Amino acid sequence: MSTTTAPPEAGGSGPVRDDPVRRVPAWRRALRPYLLSVPAVLIIAGILYPFVLGAYYAFLDYSAVVPEPVFVGLRNITGTLGDPVFWSSVRVTATYAVAATTVETVLGVGIALLLFRASLVGRLLERLLILPLMIAPVIAGVIWGLMFNPQFGVLNHVLGLGSTFDWLSEDRALWSVMLVDVWIFTPFVAILVLAGIRSLPREPFEASDVDGASWFYMFRRLMLPMMWPYILVAVIFRFMDSLKVFDHVYVLTAGGPGGATRTLQVGAFQNSITNLNFSLGSTYMLLLWVIVFITARYLVSVLGRAQRRAAGSED
Amino acid sequence: MNPRRNPRLPRTPGTPPVAGVPGLSRRRAMGLLGAGGAAAAGAVLLPGCGLGTGGISGGENGAGEVTGAFDWRKAEGAEISVLQTPHPYQVAFQPLLAQFTELTGITVNADLVAEADYYTRLNTELASGAGNYDAFMTGAYFIWTYGPPGWMEDLRPWIDNESATADEYDFDDIYEGLRTSTSWDFAVGSPLGTGGQWAIPWGFETNVLCYNKAEFDRRGIRPAETFDELRELAVDLTDRDENTYGLAFRGSRSWATIHPGFMTQFTREGCVDYTLEGDRLVAAMNSDAAVDFTRKWVDLARDAGPTSWTTYDYPDCTADLGSGTAMMVYDADSATYPQNIAGNSAEAGNLAWHPGPAGPDGNYDTNLWTWSLAMSSASRNKLAAWLFIQWATGRDAQSQAVQTGELGFADPTRESVFEDAFKAGLGDFPGYQETFERVIDSTRIHFTPQTQFFENTENWAVALQDIYAGDDAEERLDALAQASTDALDTE
Repeated sequence: MSTTTAPPEAGGSGPVRDDPVRRVPAWRRALRPYLLSVPAVLIIAGILYPFVLGAYYAFLDYSAVVPEPVFVGLRNITGTLGDPVFWSSVRVTATYAVAATTVETVLGVGIALLLFRASLVGRLLERLLILPLMIAPVIAGVIWGLMFNPQFGVLNHVLGLGSTFDWLSEDRALWSVMLVDVWIFTPFVAILVLAGIRSLPREPFEASDVDGASWFYMFRRLMLPMMWPYILVAVIFRFMDSLKVFDHVYVLTAGGPGGATRTLQVGAFQNSITNLNFSLGSTYMLLLWVIVFITARYLVSVLGRAQRRAAGSED
Repeated sequence: MNPRRNPRLPRTPGTPPVAGVPGLSRRRAMGLLGAGGAAAAGAVLLPGCGLGTGGISGGENGAGEVTGAFDWRKAEGAEISVLQTPHPYQVAFQPLLAQFTELTGITVNADLVAEADYYTRLNTELASGAGNYDAFMTGAYFIWTYGPPGWMEDLRPWIDNESATADEYDFDDIYEGLRTSTSWDFAVGSPLGTGGQWAIPWGFETNVLCYNKAEFDRRGIRPAETFDELRELAVDLTDRDENTYGLAFRGSRSWATIHPGFMTQFTREGCVDYTLEGDRLVAAMNSDAAVDFTRKWVDLARDAGPTSWTTYDYPDCTADLGSGTAMMVYDADSATYPQNIAGNSAEAGNLAWHPGPAGPDGNYDTNLWTWSLAMSSASRNKLAAWLFIQWATGRDAQSQAVQTGELGFADPTRESVFEDAFKAGLGDFPGYQETFERVIDSTRIHFTPQTQFFENTENWAVALQDIYAGDDAEERLDALAQASTDALDTE
């Protein structure tokens, strides 16, 4: 291949003229890197344009009743940061994300460990496990909404709670929508961690087995440290996703009762789409993006450390 | 045995360079990926909040361009798009669209969007100014939001233009409360009925009581005539052990919780939402009468309403009535009407209607909802769109829809159609006609028109939910009133 880039010899010769690569004009060669990068640039532009546009709206006064946008600087952001309703949404979102991710991780890891040993039942359960992931969260919200109904829902009937137990009352609604999240996404964590467990090297376990280590010792000192990177990947996915939760929450409660389940996404939707206050909705989303960005950076750095520890390169 | 020190484990260097990218460590690359992921997440989220170019859409009113004698075929060959949501009115008209095409030579493309998503779609469409839909179904309250930015065509010039409107159209045949409810000049404090005609009522609902007559007859009881009697009756009819309760009404976190039964009885009890003080509106949902009524209403929900009241919308209420779980529903008559059609519910044939409790002075003030047809000001086929609206809200088509509608057509907006075709086909719907006739003269929109309607009214529903959860009614309504007034002041 090096001959293709070598400069032609002075005076020229037959073989050089016959090389098809040599006939490509220099300007075309120079253009190649740019052409190759066009798809990536288009994709990035496709992501960045709506992002920047949405962020820009956060600095405008733009709503249905103010159809001609006016630049207001940081007024929307300072106003939102001083609004207790916004902070209530932040609290709900944070509670939701932390609690749902924690429960899903613990359950997911537990299920992965149970399914680790290959058996017919394990393989069957593995396939069944993925079913909730195939259901759109909106549909899951509708299904669970019917199940939660105190009058005719199956949950109250099966659990013997009568017709007076309201799963979606103000003090229970957040936990109930989390339950739906756990139902949908625990399999995701389980499958990810299970794949991780199966990729672990066998030698350390065989060696510790020969040394007479107990199962718990091997789990705590061998498997768990090596599993951390996989668990953390699952945590990152689930935590970032939970910060942006919308679908089944909106279907089940629309953010209510009161503000009990009004996450930042639901608040942004209500501001932008229901109330047609585009600037306020964009401000919510910009602030949520900041939260997601900072969280993502932190979690990714934790993941990096965990990977290095698992590889034995960092004490 | 520390795995970090196990020499048999493959060692991964701490921060190796990413292949082919000198100076970019894996750690750095992962950091960038995290940032990119967050940006992508934001990119998915943020554009949902912005609606493109924005700005005032539409242009000059198109009615002036129509001249000459009226002719249904003036826009022959045109093709219009209409945005609709599945509803008994839409169901009744769907088979008739071919007749419209035959009459006018205009092709109608009707897009259906489920009601839960309908206004999201419509908001986006109108705010973008794209003009993808020439006409659309809308509720009257939406005029207060869609009208001021210029997204809707004023239909008054179309009605008044004899070249565009048939002689027999007779706009005044539409009930007065409906005509005024779809007209406003957008000025703070101006009553409805002023300014442009932004939509033409197509079908409408009065919010009254529907009850299980078979059960009432079995018990030898009659519907309540006062609000306090209604509360007592509803509690008496509630038996949680038997999974039955007295009265279903909406309680979800939505402005739509306020407008049916709540607003009707709120008004009958002498309460108002806002008062005009000088040139500003001041929220009055915290007046003594309003606090007292609200407290009773929420108690009613707790003692005799559905257990999960805070999630209840009208389909939940009517489904409970149809299944025999709820003994009464205080909601739209058009929503309860289909439950009495044979085959539609377990209690079909057992239901009856009543105006609901009168106010202390005997008034039957009733809040209405009307599905109306409106024209996008960004439409590029305004004449064709107007001909469609005119036809659909006209006497002939509405009479036919009443007679052939699969789910009924309760209620027609034209007095002549109600008196003629609707009454003739009413059949065994005890009390329906009497109830309608009792309330129709005092049926109108009883909210004060305002551009912040949806936000303020949704906050009202949130306040009801908070009171239901235990907040003090007076304190919560004071806070609501303050927030609502502030929102209007800073508009």
